[in-house]
Amino acid sequence: MVTPSVSLQGVFAVPLGTARLTECQRLNRELEALFLAREDNEHRNPMPSHIPQAETFESRFNLFRWPEPCVQELRKFVLDSVVTTVLQATKLLPADLARLTLHNHTWFHISRQAGSFVAHNHPMASWSAVYCVRAGEPVPAEPESGVLRLLDPRYGAGAYRDAANSQLHPAFALTPLDLRLNEGQVIVFPSYLFHEVTPFYGRDTRITVATNCWFA
Amino acid sequence: MSAPAVHVVPIFATPFGVVTLPQAATLNSALGTLLSERAPPQWRAARGPGALMFRSREDLGEWPEEPVRRLMSEMLAGVSAVAASISELAEQDFAALRMDARAWFTLVRPDGCVPAKSYANSSWLAVYCVSAPEPSSARVDSGVLRLYESRLGTMFQDPAGSAARLPYRSGHCTWRPVPGEMAVFPAALTHEIALVRAAGILVLVSARVRFVGSGGAWMPPW
Repeated sequence: MVTPSVSLQGVFAVPLGTARLTECQRLNRELEALFLAREDNEHRNPMPSHIPQAETFESRFNLFRWPEPCVQELRKFVLDSVVTTVLQATKLLPADLARLTLHNHTWFHISRQAGSFVAHNHPMASWSAVYCVRAGEPVPAEPESGVLRLLDPRYGAGAYRDAANSQLHPAFALTPLDLRLNEGQVIVFPSYLFHEVTPFYGRDTRITVATNCWFA
Repeated sequence: MSAPAVHVVPIFATPFGVVTLPQAATLNSALGTLLSERAPPQWRAARGPGALMFRSREDLGEWPEEPVRRLMSEMLAGVSAVAASISELAEQDFAALRMDARAWFTLVRPDGCVPAKSYANSSWLAVYCVSAPEPSSARVDSGVLRLYESRLGTMFQDPAGSAARLPYRSGHCTWRPVPGEMAVFPAALTHEIALVRAAGILVLVSARVRFVGSGGAWMPPW
Protein backbone atom coordinates (compact mmCIF):
# COMPACT_ATOMS: atom_id res chain seq x y z
CA MET A 1 0.00 0.00 0.00
CA VAL A 2 1.26 3.47 -0.78
CA THR A 3 0.95 6.02 1.99
CA PRO A 4 -0.48 9.20 0.52
CA SER A 5 0.29 12.44 2.26
CA VAL A 6 -2.98 13.08 4.03
CA SER A 7 -3.78 16.22 5.96
CA LEU A 8 -6.25 15.44 8.71
CA GLN A 9 -8.16 18.14 10.51
CA GLY A 10 -11.21 18.45 12.69
CA VAL A 11 -14.24 20.15 11.22
CA PHE A 12 -17.56 21.06 12.83
CA ALA A 13 -15.68 21.38 16.09
CA VAL A 14 -17.31 22.37 19.39
CA PRO A 15 -15.37 25.01 21.34
CA LEU A 16 -14.81 24.22 25.00
CA GLY A 17 -13.08 26.77 27.21
CA THR A 18 -11.63 25.91 30.58
CA ALA A 19 -10.07 28.16 33.19
CA ARG A 20 -9.06 27.78 36.80
CA LEU A 21 -9.36 30.34 39.55
CA THR A 22 -6.17 30.03 41.55
CA GLU A 23 -6.39 30.50 45.29
CA CYS A 24 -10.10 29.81 45.16
CA GLN A 25 -10.55 28.24 48.60
CA ARG A 26 -11.53 31.42 50.47
CA LEU A 27 -13.96 32.53 47.76
CA ASN A 28 -15.54 29.12 47.46
CA ARG A 29 -16.10 28.78 51.19
CA GLU A 30 -17.74 32.21 51.28
CA LEU A 31 -19.94 31.29 48.34
CA GLU A 32 -20.81 27.95 49.89
CA ALA A 33 -21.85 29.55 53.17
CA LEU A 34 -23.91 32.17 51.36
CA PHE A 35 -25.65 29.66 49.12
CA LEU A 36 -26.45 27.27 51.95
CA ALA A 37 -27.89 30.16 53.95
CA ARG A 38 -30.14 31.07 51.05
CA GLU A 39 -31.27 27.60 50.13
CA ASP A 40 -34.89 28.55 50.80
CA ASN A 41 -38.13 29.27 49.01
CA GLU A 42 -37.39 32.98 48.77
CA HIS A 43 -34.36 32.27 46.62
CA ARG A 44 -35.60 29.14 44.82
CA ASN A 45 -36.26 29.40 41.09
CA PRO A 46 -40.04 29.93 40.96
CA MET A 47 -40.33 28.82 37.33
CA PRO A 48 -38.09 25.79 36.80
CA SER A 49 -37.83 24.69 33.20
CA HIS A 50 -37.40 21.06 34.17
CA ILE A 51 -38.94 18.70 36.68
CA PRO A 52 -37.79 19.95 40.09
CA GLN A 53 -35.98 17.55 42.37
CA ALA A 54 -35.89 17.62 46.14
CA GLU A 55 -32.22 16.65 46.03
CA THR A 56 -31.13 19.53 43.81
CA PHE A 57 -31.84 23.12 44.78
CA GLU A 58 -31.92 25.63 41.94
CA SER A 59 -31.79 29.32 42.76
CA ARG A 60 -33.37 32.21 40.91
CA PHE A 61 -31.53 33.32 37.81
CA ASN A 62 -30.40 36.68 39.21
CA LEU A 63 -27.34 35.51 41.12
CA PHE A 64 -24.88 37.90 39.50
CA ARG A 65 -27.03 40.83 40.61
CA TRP A 66 -26.42 39.99 44.24
CA PRO A 67 -24.23 42.69 45.80
CA GLU A 68 -22.19 40.44 48.08
CA PRO A 69 -18.46 40.82 47.36
CA CYS A 70 -17.91 37.09 46.94
CA VAL A 71 -20.63 36.93 44.28
CA GLN A 72 -19.22 39.94 42.46
CA GLU A 73 -15.73 38.45 42.61
CA LEU A 74 -17.07 35.25 41.06
CA ARG A 75 -19.06 37.21 38.49
CA LYS A 76 -15.91 38.92 37.24
CA PHE A 77 -13.99 35.65 36.92
CA VAL A 78 -16.77 33.72 35.21
CA LEU A 79 -17.81 36.45 32.76
CA ASP A 80 -14.18 37.24 31.98
CA SER A 81 -13.74 33.54 31.18
CA VAL A 82 -16.75 33.67 28.88
CA VAL A 83 -15.46 36.77 27.11
CA THR A 84 -11.99 35.29 26.71
CA THR A 85 -13.50 32.13 25.26
CA VAL A 86 -15.59 34.16 22.83
CA LEU A 87 -12.51 36.09 21.70
CA GLN A 88 -10.62 32.87 21.09
CA ALA A 89 -13.49 31.11 19.33
CA THR A 90 -14.67 33.96 17.11
CA LYS A 91 -13.26 36.62 14.81
CA LEU A 92 -14.42 39.35 17.17
CA LEU A 93 -11.87 41.78 18.50
CA PRO A 94 -11.90 43.09 22.06
CA ALA A 95 -13.13 46.43 20.74
CA ASP A 96 -16.04 44.66 19.03
CA LEU A 97 -17.07 42.96 22.24
CA ALA A 98 -16.67 46.16 24.22
CA ARG A 99 -19.46 47.69 22.17
CA LEU A 100 -21.83 44.91 23.14
CA THR A 101 -23.71 44.39 26.37
CA LEU A 102 -23.21 40.99 27.94
CA HIS A 103 -26.50 39.78 29.40
CA ASN A 104 -26.67 36.76 31.65
CA HIS A 105 -28.94 34.48 33.61
CA THR A 106 -26.96 33.00 36.47
CA TRP A 107 -27.95 30.65 39.26
CA PHE A 108 -26.53 28.12 41.68
CA HIS A 109 -27.26 24.44 42.20
CA ILE A 110 -26.83 22.53 45.44
CA SER A 111 -27.04 18.77 44.93
CA ARG A 112 -27.28 16.22 47.67
CA GLN A 113 -27.53 12.39 47.66
CA ALA A 114 -28.94 11.25 44.29
CA GLY A 115 -29.32 14.81 43.01
CA SER A 116 -28.99 15.15 39.25
CA PHE A 117 -30.07 17.34 36.37
CA VAL A 118 -31.62 16.07 33.19
CA ALA A 119 -29.99 16.67 29.80
CA HIS A 120 -30.85 20.09 28.43
CA ASN A 121 -29.52 23.01 26.43
CA HIS A 122 -30.23 26.71 26.65
CA PRO A 123 -32.24 28.30 23.85
CA MET A 124 -31.88 32.04 23.30
CA ALA A 125 -28.34 32.15 24.62
CA SER A 126 -25.00 31.82 22.85
CA TRP A 127 -22.57 30.76 25.56
CA SER A 128 -22.99 28.86 28.81
CA ALA A 129 -20.56 28.30 31.65
CA VAL A 130 -20.41 26.19 34.79
CA TYR A 131 -18.19 27.05 37.76
CA CYS A 132 -17.47 24.55 40.51
CA VAL A 133 -17.78 25.85 44.07
CA ARG A 134 -17.67 22.43 45.70
CA ALA A 135 -17.03 19.19 43.83
CA GLY A 136 -18.49 16.89 46.47
CA GLU A 137 -16.83 13.72 47.62
CA PRO A 138 -15.90 11.14 45.00
CA VAL A 139 -17.68 7.79 45.32
CA PRO A 140 -15.46 4.92 44.15
CA ALA A 141 -18.41 2.57 43.79
CA GLU A 142 -20.15 5.04 41.50
CA PRO A 143 -17.44 6.49 39.25
CA GLU A 144 -19.94 8.54 37.25
CA SER A 145 -21.28 10.26 40.37
CA GLY A 146 -21.84 13.97 39.83
CA VAL A 147 -20.25 14.12 36.41
CA LEU A 148 -21.04 16.99 34.04
CA ARG A 149 -21.72 15.17 30.77
CA LEU A 150 -21.60 17.01 27.45
CA LEU A 151 -23.54 15.12 24.79
CA ASP A 152 -22.19 14.77 21.27
CA PRO A 153 -24.29 17.06 19.05
CA ARG A 154 -23.70 14.92 15.96
CA TYR A 155 -26.86 13.00 16.64
CA GLY A 156 -26.97 9.59 14.99
CA ALA A 157 -23.44 9.81 13.59
CA GLY A 158 -22.45 6.78 15.66
CA ALA A 159 -25.38 4.65 14.56
CA TYR A 160 -23.19 2.75 12.13
CA ARG A 161 -20.01 1.29 13.57
CA ASP A 162 -17.37 -0.96 12.17
CA ALA A 163 -13.76 -1.58 13.07
CA ALA A 164 -12.56 1.50 11.24
CA ASN A 165 -14.63 4.05 13.17
CA SER A 166 -14.92 2.44 16.58
CA GLN A 167 -11.60 3.64 18.00
CA LEU A 168 -11.45 7.23 16.86
CA HIS A 169 -9.03 9.61 18.52
CA PRO A 170 -10.66 11.60 21.32
CA ALA A 171 -11.00 14.71 19.14
CA PHE A 172 -13.15 12.75 16.69
CA ALA A 173 -14.89 10.35 19.07
CA LEU A 174 -18.65 9.98 18.74
CA THR A 175 -19.22 9.72 22.47
CA PRO A 176 -20.30 11.99 25.31
CA LEU A 177 -17.59 13.89 27.16
CA ASP A 178 -17.63 13.40 30.93
CA LEU A 179 -16.13 16.21 32.98
CA ARG A 180 -15.44 15.92 36.68
CA LEU A 181 -15.18 19.53 37.73
CA ASN A 182 -12.62 20.60 40.28
CA GLU A 183 -13.17 23.41 42.74
CA GLY A 184 -12.32 26.73 41.14
CA GLN A 185 -12.67 25.39 37.61
CA VAL A 186 -14.98 26.96 35.06
CA ILE A 187 -15.90 25.54 31.69
CA VAL A 188 -17.43 27.53 28.85
CA PHE A 189 -19.31 25.95 25.96
CA PRO A 190 -21.89 26.83 23.30
CA SER A 191 -25.39 26.98 24.72
CA TYR A 192 -26.68 24.63 22.02
CA LEU A 193 -24.74 21.75 23.53
CA PHE A 194 -26.94 19.34 25.44
CA HIS A 195 -25.50 18.60 28.87
CA GLU A 196 -26.57 16.86 32.06
CA VAL A 197 -25.38 16.21 35.59
CA THR A 198 -25.39 12.54 36.51
CA PRO A 199 -26.73 11.49 39.92
CA PHE A 200 -24.44 12.61 42.74
CA TYR A 201 -23.97 9.91 45.36
CA GLY A 202 -21.64 11.71 47.77
CA ARG A 203 -22.64 12.16 51.38
CA ASP A 204 -21.95 15.88 51.25
CA THR A 205 -22.96 18.53 48.74
CA ARG A 206 -22.02 19.36 45.17
CA ILE A 207 -22.32 23.09 44.48
CA THR A 208 -22.02 24.77 41.10
CA VAL A 209 -22.83 28.10 39.53
CA ALA A 210 -24.16 28.16 35.98
CA THR A 211 -24.62 31.07 33.62
CA ASN A 212 -26.15 31.61 30.22
CA CYS A 213 -24.91 34.59 28.25
CA TRP A 214 -26.18 36.54 25.30
CA PHE A 215 -24.74 39.64 23.70
CA ALA A 216 -26.64 42.59 22.23
CA MET B 1 -57.13 38.98 9.89
CA SER B 2 -58.40 36.26 7.58
CA ALA B 3 -58.23 32.61 8.55
CA PRO B 4 -56.30 30.82 5.80
CA ALA B 5 -56.91 27.14 5.24
CA VAL B 6 -53.80 25.55 6.67
CA HIS B 7 -52.64 21.99 6.31
CA VAL B 8 -49.92 21.03 8.80
CA VAL B 9 -48.23 17.64 8.84
CA PRO B 10 -45.30 16.31 10.86
CA ILE B 11 -42.14 15.73 8.90
CA PHE B 12 -38.95 14.09 10.16
CA ALA B 13 -41.12 12.25 12.66
CA THR B 14 -39.75 9.66 15.07
CA PRO B 15 -41.78 6.45 15.46
CA PHE B 16 -42.54 5.35 18.99
CA GLY B 17 -44.62 2.23 19.49
CA VAL B 18 -46.19 0.83 22.63
CA VAL B 19 -47.06 -2.84 22.46
CA THR B 20 -48.99 -4.80 25.06
CA LEU B 21 -47.75 -8.37 25.37
CA PRO B 22 -50.66 -10.19 26.99
CA GLN B 23 -49.02 -13.60 27.22
CA ALA B 24 -45.74 -12.20 28.43
CA ALA B 25 -47.51 -10.40 31.22
CA THR B 26 -48.59 -13.71 32.68
CA LEU B 27 -44.91 -14.64 32.82
CA ASN B 28 -43.80 -11.59 34.74
CA SER B 29 -43.74 -13.25 38.13
CA ALA B 30 -41.59 -16.14 36.93
CA LEU B 31 -39.39 -13.78 34.91
CA GLY B 32 -38.85 -11.48 37.89
CA THR B 33 -37.77 -14.37 40.06
CA LEU B 34 -35.50 -15.88 37.42
CA LEU B 35 -33.80 -12.62 36.51
CA SER B 36 -33.23 -11.63 40.13
CA GLU B 37 -31.63 -15.02 40.79
CA ARG B 38 -29.24 -14.51 37.90
CA ALA B 39 -28.06 -11.10 39.12
CA PRO B 40 -24.51 -11.05 40.54
CA PRO B 41 -23.70 -11.09 44.27
CA GLN B 42 -22.99 -7.36 44.48
CA TRP B 43 -26.48 -6.64 43.24
CA ARG B 44 -28.07 -9.03 45.70
CA ALA B 45 -25.90 -7.66 48.51
CA ALA B 46 -27.11 -4.15 47.60
CA ARG B 47 -23.75 -2.53 48.27
CA GLY B 48 -20.64 -1.61 46.37
CA PRO B 49 -20.23 -1.11 42.61
CA GLY B 50 -23.30 -2.16 40.69
CA ALA B 51 -25.57 -2.12 43.73
CA LEU B 52 -27.99 0.44 42.27
CA MET B 53 -28.23 -0.83 38.72
CA PHE B 54 -27.38 -4.10 37.07
CA ARG B 55 -27.32 -4.75 33.34
CA SER B 56 -26.80 -8.32 32.18
CA ARG B 57 -24.87 -9.63 29.21
CA GLU B 58 -26.61 -9.50 25.86
CA ASP B 59 -27.29 -13.20 25.77
CA LEU B 60 -30.84 -13.35 27.05
CA GLY B 61 -32.05 -14.60 23.69
CA GLU B 62 -29.97 -17.74 24.17
CA TRP B 63 -31.38 -18.70 27.55
CA PRO B 64 -33.25 -21.99 27.42
CA GLU B 65 -35.76 -21.22 30.16
CA GLU B 66 -39.30 -21.30 28.86
CA PRO B 67 -40.48 -17.95 30.28
CA VAL B 68 -37.54 -16.20 28.64
CA ARG B 69 -38.04 -17.98 25.31
CA ARG B 70 -41.72 -17.07 25.24
CA LEU B 71 -40.96 -13.46 26.16
CA MET B 72 -38.33 -13.18 23.45
CA SER B 73 -40.77 -14.53 20.89
CA GLU B 74 -43.45 -12.03 21.86
CA MET B 75 -41.03 -9.13 22.00
CA LEU B 76 -39.69 -9.81 18.53
CA ALA B 77 -43.19 -10.19 17.17
CA GLY B 78 -44.02 -6.82 18.69
CA VAL B 79 -40.98 -5.14 17.19
CA SER B 80 -41.80 -6.65 13.82
CA ALA B 81 -45.35 -5.35 14.04
CA VAL B 82 -44.17 -1.82 14.83
CA ALA B 83 -41.61 -1.86 12.02
CA ALA B 84 -44.14 -3.27 9.56
CA SER B 85 -46.69 -0.64 10.49
CA ILE B 86 -44.50 2.15 9.13
CA SER B 87 -42.87 0.23 6.28
CA GLU B 88 -43.71 0.65 2.64
CA LEU B 89 -42.44 -2.85 1.87
CA ALA B 90 -45.01 -5.24 0.52
CA GLU B 91 -46.30 -7.62 3.18
CA GLN B 92 -44.59 -10.64 1.65
CA ASP B 93 -41.32 -8.75 1.25
CA PHE B 94 -41.37 -7.65 4.86
CA ALA B 95 -42.19 -11.16 5.99
CA ALA B 96 -39.14 -12.44 4.14
CA LEU B 97 -36.78 -10.42 6.31
CA ARG B 98 -34.84 -12.13 9.05
CA MET B 99 -34.51 -10.53 12.47
CA ASP B 100 -31.25 -10.32 14.38
CA ALA B 101 -31.66 -9.58 18.07
CA ARG B 102 -29.57 -9.18 21.17
CA ALA B 103 -31.34 -9.02 24.49
CA TRP B 104 -30.48 -8.32 28.10
CA PHE B 105 -32.17 -7.50 31.38
CA THR B 106 -31.76 -4.54 33.68
CA LEU B 107 -32.51 -4.18 37.38
CA VAL B 108 -32.74 -0.74 38.98
CA ARG B 109 -33.06 0.01 42.68
CA PRO B 110 -34.22 3.29 44.26
CA ASP B 111 -31.58 5.99 43.63
CA GLY B 112 -30.40 4.00 40.63
CA CYS B 113 -30.74 4.89 36.98
CA VAL B 114 -29.62 3.75 33.55
CA PRO B 115 -27.33 6.33 31.93
CA ALA B 116 -28.12 7.75 28.52
CA LYS B 117 -27.32 5.40 25.68
CA SER B 118 -27.97 4.64 22.05
CA TYR B 119 -27.11 1.52 20.06
CA ALA B 120 -25.07 1.27 16.90
CA ASN B 121 -25.70 -1.16 14.05
CA SER B 122 -29.26 -1.73 15.23
CA SER B 123 -32.49 -0.33 13.89
CA TRP B 124 -34.92 -0.80 16.76
CA LEU B 125 -34.79 -0.97 20.52
CA ALA B 126 -37.49 -2.68 22.53
CA VAL B 127 -37.87 -2.12 26.27
CA TYR B 128 -40.26 -4.50 28.03
CA CYS B 129 -41.32 -3.94 31.63
CA VAL B 130 -41.41 -6.99 33.90
CA SER B 131 -42.11 -5.08 37.07
CA ALA B 132 -42.01 -1.47 38.18
CA PRO B 133 -42.24 0.48 41.41
CA GLU B 134 -45.40 2.47 41.99
CA PRO B 135 -45.24 5.99 40.56
CA SER B 136 -43.82 8.54 42.97
CA SER B 137 -46.15 11.38 43.92
CA ALA B 138 -43.13 13.52 44.74
CA ARG B 139 -41.21 12.73 41.58
CA VAL B 140 -43.20 12.45 38.38
CA ASP B 141 -40.24 11.21 36.35
CA SER B 142 -39.24 8.45 38.74
CA GLY B 143 -38.07 5.47 36.70
CA VAL B 144 -39.40 6.70 33.36
CA LEU B 145 -37.88 5.92 30.00
CA ARG B 146 -36.72 9.30 28.77
CA LEU B 147 -36.08 9.74 25.04
CA TYR B 148 -33.81 12.66 24.38
CA GLU B 149 -34.66 15.51 22.08
CA SER B 150 -32.68 14.95 18.91
CA ARG B 151 -33.41 18.17 17.05
CA LEU B 152 -30.98 21.01 17.58
CA GLY B 153 -32.94 23.53 15.61
CA THR B 154 -34.64 24.64 18.78
CA MET B 155 -32.09 27.17 20.00
CA PHE B 156 -34.26 30.04 18.87
CA GLN B 157 -37.59 30.23 20.61
CA ASP B 158 -40.41 32.71 20.67
CA PRO B 159 -43.58 32.57 22.76
CA ALA B 160 -45.62 30.84 20.05
CA GLY B 161 -43.00 28.22 19.29
CA SER B 162 -42.39 27.50 22.95
CA ALA B 163 -46.04 26.52 23.35
CA ALA B 164 -46.11 24.06 20.45
CA ARG B 165 -47.89 20.76 21.04
CA LEU B 166 -46.72 17.24 20.32
CA PRO B 167 -45.28 16.16 17.94
CA TYR B 168 -43.92 19.65 17.28
CA ARG B 169 -42.96 20.57 20.84
CA SER B 170 -39.23 20.55 21.52
CA GLY B 171 -37.87 18.68 24.50
CA HIS B 172 -37.56 15.13 25.74
CA CYS B 173 -40.36 12.55 25.66
CA THR B 174 -41.02 10.10 28.47
CA TRP B 175 -42.79 6.79 28.83
CA ARG B 176 -43.59 5.18 32.14
CA PRO B 177 -42.79 1.45 32.13
CA VAL B 178 -45.89 -0.57 32.87
CA PRO B 179 -45.63 -4.32 33.54
CA GLY B 180 -46.67 -6.24 30.44
CA GLU B 181 -46.04 -3.35 28.07
CA MET B 182 -43.15 -2.73 25.71
CA ALA B 183 -41.83 0.46 24.12
CA VAL B 184 -40.30 0.24 20.65
CA PHE B 185 -38.27 3.07 19.11
CA PRO B 186 -35.24 3.64 16.87
CA ALA B 187 -32.07 2.30 18.47
CA ALA B 188 -30.13 5.41 17.47
CA LEU B 189 -32.31 7.53 19.75
CA THR B 190 -30.46 8.49 22.92
CA HIS B 191 -32.46 7.43 25.94
CA GLU B 192 -32.12 6.78 29.64
CA ILE B 193 -34.00 5.36 32.57
CA ALA B 194 -34.45 8.26 34.96
CA LEU B 195 -33.57 7.96 38.61
CA VAL B 196 -35.93 5.62 40.47
CA ARG B 197 -37.29 7.52 43.46
CA ALA B 198 -39.93 5.12 44.71
CA ALA B 199 -39.84 1.90 46.68
CA GLY B 200 -39.34 -1.28 44.68
CA ILE B 201 -37.17 -2.56 41.88
CA LEU B 202 -37.61 -1.76 38.21
CA VAL B 203 -37.07 -4.87 36.08
CA LEU B 204 -36.72 -4.41 32.33
CA VAL B 205 -35.89 -6.66 29.42
CA SER B 206 -34.42 -4.90 26.39
CA ALA B 207 -33.63 -6.07 22.91
CA ARG B 208 -31.86 -4.35 20.08
CA VAL B 209 -33.01 -5.57 16.74
CA ARG B 210 -32.21 -5.29 13.06
CA PHE B 211 -33.73 -6.76 9.96
CA VAL B 212 -31.61 -8.65 7.44
CA GLY B 213 -32.60 -9.11 3.84
CA SER B 214 -32.79 -12.51 2.27
CA GLY B 215 -30.30 -11.43 -0.38
CA GLY B 216 -27.48 -11.71 2.11
CA ALA B 217 -26.50 -8.04 2.10
CA TRP B 218 -23.51 -7.38 4.34
CA MET B 219 -24.23 -6.22 7.88
CA PRO B 220 -21.62 -4.92 10.31
CA PRO B 221 -20.77 -7.08 13.29
CA TRP B 222 -22.47 -6.15 16.50
